[in-house]
Amino acid sequence: MAKKRAIGAVAALALGILFATGGAQAADTVRVSSKLDAESGLLGTMILQVLEANGIPTENKVQLGPTKIVRSALLAGEIDIYPEYTGNGAFFFNIDSDPAWKNARAGYEKVRQLDQEKNNIVWLKPAPANNTWAIALRRDVASPNKLSTMEDFARWVKDGGKAKIAASAEFVESPAALPSFQSTYGFTLKPEQILVLAGGDTAATIRAAAEGTSGVNTAMVYGTDGAIAALDLAVMQDTKGAQMVYEPAPTVRAAVLEKNPKIREVLDPVFASLDTETLRSLNAKISVEGQDPKQVATTYLKSKGFLK
Amino acid sequence: MAAPRPTILHNRVALLLAAAVAAAALTLPFLSFAPNRLLSGRGIPLAGALAGVVDAPWGWAALLPGAVILAVPFLRPSRAVSAVYSAAGVLFAAGLVWLAGAHAAHLAATSAPAARTSFGAGFWVMEAAALLAAMDGVRRLGLPPAWRIAVGGATAALVAAQLAAGHLDQLSILKEYANQRDVFAAAVLRHGLLVAGALVPTLLIGVPLGVLANRSFHVRRLVFPVLNVIQTIPSIALFGLLMAPLSALAGALPGLGISGVGPVPAVIALTFYSLLPIVRNTVEGLDGVPPAVREAARGMGMTRRQVFLKVEVPLALPVFLSGLRITLVQAVGLAAVAALIGAGGLGAIMFQGLFANALDLVLLGAVPVILLAVAVDAALKLAVSLAVSLTGRRAA
Amino acid sequence: MIAFEGVTKRFEPWVAVDGVSLTVQAGEFCVLIGPSGSGKSTLMKMVNRLIVPDAGTIRIDGEDIAGLKPEELRRRMGYVIQNVGLFPHWTVERNIATVPALLGWPKARVQDRVAELLDLLKLDPRRFRDAYPHQLSGGQQQRVGVARALAAEPNILLMDEPFSALDPITRGALQAEMAAIHKATRTTIVFVTHDMDEALKLANRIAVLDHGRLIQFGTPLDILTNPANDTVRDLIGREDWGLKLLAVETVGQRVRSDGEAFGQPVPGTAPLRQALAEMVARGTDRLPVVDEQGRPAGVLHLSDLVRP
Repeated sequence: MAKKRAIGAVAALALGILFATGGAQAADTVRVSSKLDAESGLLGTMILQVLEANGIPTENKVQLGPTKIVRSALLAGEIDIYPEYTGNGAFFFNIDSDPAWKNARAGYEKVRQLDQEKNNIVWLKPAPANNTWAIALRRDVASPNKLSTMEDFARWVKDGGKAKIAASAEFVESPAALPSFQSTYGFTLKPEQILVLAGGDTAATIRAAAEGTSGVNTAMVYGTDGAIAALDLAVMQDTKGAQMVYEPAPTVRAAVLEKNPKIREVLDPVFASLDTETLRSLNAKISVEGQDPKQVATTYLKSKGFLK
Repeated sequence: MAAPRPTILHNRVALLLAAAVAAAALTLPFLSFAPNRLLSGRGIPLAGALAGVVDAPWGWAALLPGAVILAVPFLRPSRAVSAVYSAAGVLFAAGLVWLAGAHAAHLAATSAPAARTSFGAGFWVMEAAALLAAMDGVRRLGLPPAWRIAVGGATAALVAAQLAAGHLDQLSILKEYANQRDVFAAAVLRHGLLVAGALVPTLLIGVPLGVLANRSFHVRRLVFPVLNVIQTIPSIALFGLLMAPLSALAGALPGLGISGVGPVPAVIALTFYSLLPIVRNTVEGLDGVPPAVREAARGMGMTRRQVFLKVEVPLALPVFLSGLRITLVQAVGLAAVAALIGAGGLGAIMFQGLFANALDLVLLGAVPVILLAVAVDAALKLAVSLAVSLTGRRAA
Repeated sequence: MIAFEGVTKRFEPWVAVDGVSLTVQAGEFCVLIGPSGSGKSTLMKMVNRLIVPDAGTIRIDGEDIAGLKPEELRRRMGYVIQNVGLFPHWTVERNIATVPALLGWPKARVQDRVAELLDLLKLDPRRFRDAYPHQLSGGQQQRVGVARALAAEPNILLMDEPFSALDPITRGALQAEMAAIHKATRTTIVFVTHDMDEALKLANRIAVLDHGRLIQFGTPLDILTNPANDTVRDLIGREDWGLKLLAVETVGQRVRSDGEAFGQPVPGTAPLRQALAEMVARGTDRLPVVDEQGRPAGVLHLSDLVRP
C-alpha cells in the first residue's frame, strides 16, 4: 500500500513539474497566435511584426492549431491575440441562422458585441476582404460567356451551360453552401456536374479546374484564395448575399488591450489596407509561389509604411 | 545421368529488388516538375534526369551502384558479394539523391523561382530498393545489429553531406524548408520533448504497475482491460476528451500552467497510450523469470529487494526494453497528431502542409518523424541485443 | 542439530504437516520420504522459513528460529532444489559465489572457495568456471547447484528432491558424490525424496511421512526389518524387499572366521548384494573376505546371507 502511495506521489510530482514549466512565461509579452492555414498564418505574422516594430514585446505562437483549439486557447487566456473571421461568430454563439451574418457591417457588429459582453474579447477593425465560399470559373469559360456574377452563372447553367464543378463534400451538402447558392439564384447542378473531392481544400478544387481534370471547369474557392489570382480564375460575385461574410479581424483579450492600447492604434490601418485583391495576391505569393510568409509579410508592411 | 542445369538465379530477394529498380527506372517518373507550388507537375523519367545533368560522367557514376544491384541476383552468393551488395545499396541510395538534387538545380537555372521540382514515384521506389538492398547485404553477412545501424548511418551521412553542401537546395522539399528554417529546429526539439516528456510519467507509473501486476493476480485482472480500452481510443478523440476537463482545471487553477491545449494534454494522452506496452512488457519480462530461479534466490537468503534487483530485473530486461522500443516508436508517431491540439512539433509542419495542399511541406514534417522513429527503433534494438548478451537470455 | 517440536502447517482446508516432532542430530544425513502430499517438502522448507509453521517450534542448536531474520537464517544453510534454479545471467563462478558475496567475503577467499568446490564436484574449472548455465547439461547444472549450496560452508544442507529430474546414471553418480561429501564434511543434511532406494543408499536415518504425520523414524536397517505399517512397506516395495535388505547390510556384518574360500576376495565394506552377485557369477557358495588394509578377514558363506 505504501508503495502505491509513493508511486502516486512521485507521478504527481513529475506531472506537476511538467505543468509548472509549461506555465512559466513572462507576464507582459503579448502572445500572438493564429490558425494553421496559410492566410491566418500570414495575418498572424503581420500582427506579430507590427506589434514588435512598435515596441510591444510579443511571443510567437503563430500556427497553433485548428479553429477550435486557437479559440479555446484565447478564451482560456493562454494566447492573447489572433486573427479570426467575423462569420465564425455564428458558430461560436450558435446563431448561424441569423441573417445578420450575410451582411458585413451587421455581422461584425453582432460578433463584436457578443464577444465583448460574454467573453471580454475585443474585435478590432476588420479587413475589407470577404474570405467566404464562392464559385469561380476558368477564364476561358467565363470570358466568352460573359459571366461575372452568380446571376450570370445561374442563367448560364439554366440555359444548358456545360458547368462542372469540383467541390468538397461539405460544400455540396452543407445548407449554408451550395444549397444556399442554388436557392438564392435559382439554379440546380445535376449530380454529373459535380465532382466531389475528399478533403475539401480549395487548392485541390482549383487545381482540378485549372487543369481540366475530368472535365472540371468550375471550382469551389474561398474569396481570398491566392490561387485565384495566380491561375486567373473568374470569381462569380455573390450580389444577392447568399453566403455569410467572413472578414478577418484581430481578436484580443480585453485585459491585454487595456494594458497595451497601442495595439488597436497600430493594427487598425494594417487591416484596413487588406482588401480582397491585396490579400489574394499576398496569398498567391505564399501558396502558389512558395515564398516565405514572414518575408511576404515584411515586404508588404514595409511597402505600405507600416514597418520602417 | 544428365548434368544438373546450372543455377543462374541465386538470390530471390535480390531479384525482386532488381526488378523493382528496373521497373521504376524505366516506367515511373524520377522527378516531377511543376510551374508553381499549386499545380500538378509533369513527370521526368530517370533518363531525362541523366540527360539534363551537366557533368554527364558524374551522373552515370551515381547510377553505377544501381547496375551492381541489377547484377547481384545472378552472382554466386559469397561474403564478398554480400558486402559489395550492401555497399552498392548505400551508394545507390545516396547517388539517387545526388542526381535528383543536380537535376533540380539544372531546371531551376532556366525557370521561374516559383517552379517546383519534387521526388517522383520512381525515385521513391528505387530509393527504397537501394536501402533494402543495403540492409539485405548486412543480414546475409550475419553481422550484429550494430552494423545495420552503421550502414543506415553511412547512407544518412552521405545525404547529410549533400544537404550541407547545398547541393539539394533546389528540390521542392528544401524550398519548403527554407521557409520553415527558423521554426524547424524548434519543431524537432519540441517533438522530442513531447516524447521524452511522456516517457517519464510512463515509466514512473507503468513500471511499478507492471511489477504489481506480475505479483498480484487481482491487479493484473484490473489493469489490462482498462489499458486495452484506452489503447483502442483513437488518438484525436482522446486529445479531444482531455481538452474539456483540462480547460476546466486550468480555469480553476490558473497558476499551474495546465491547459486544455498545447503540450500538456498531448503529454498526458501520450502517457496513456504508452502505458499498455510498458506494463505488458514489464509483466511479461517478470513472468519470464523461471520460478525455480526465484525460489533458489529466496532460499539462499536474498532479501526481496535483492531478488528483484539482482535476479528479476536483469532477466526481465530484454523483454522490457522491447516494450520500451514499441512505446517510443509509437509515441514518436502519435506526437505528430498532437499538433492538432496545438502541441507543436513536427506534426504542426505536416498539418500546415496538409491545409495548404503542399505535399512537400507535408514531407518536410513527415520525413524527420520517420527518421526519428527509425533511429529510436535502431537504438533500442541495440540496447536489447546488449541486454541479451549481458544476461545470456533470449528476448521474447 | 535440528529439532522439530509439534510442528503443524495448514493450507486451508488441508493439513500439510500435522504435529511432527523429530530431531535431526548434528552431522546426520536425514532423509524425509513419503508419497506425494505427505508434507515432506513442506517440513523441510520450514527449516529455512520459506514456509512458516502454524503451530510448534523449530530449533537449530537449541535456538528457536522464529526469532531470527529469515535472510540471515538462510545464508547459514545450503539449499538445493529439483529444478536447480541457477541464475541464467551469471556464470558458474558467480552462481557459486552467490552466498559468499551476500556475506561480504573478500574476493580472494571467494575465488579460492569456487576453485575448491569445482574440484569437489568434479567440474573442470577451465571448461566450467566461465560457462553459463544454459551451456550445461542437467547433471552439470545440479553439480553447480550443490556447489553453490556449499559455498558458504554451511552447517546445514537442505535438499529437495535434487536428483529426481536426472537420468539414472547421472543420478547414481551424484548420489555417490553426495555420500562422499557428507562423509568428508559432516554437514547436517536434510534430504527429501520419494525414492526409497535413494533413501536407503544415502541416509543415516530415514523419516517416513504420510498425510503430514511422522510414521517412522529410524536407520535404513530399522525401516527394512521393522516397517511400522503398510505405507512403509509399500514405500519399500514388497517384492524386492529382501534385495533391499541385502543392499543395506555389509559383508563385514556376516563374515565368519572359519571355513575356506578361494578366488578374488571381497572387501568387508561391500554390501551383501555385491557378494551375492559375485557368488552367482563365480558359481560358488563362499567368498574370501578382506578388511580395509587388504588382510584376510574370514569367509562369507551363502547360507549366512539368509538369516532367519
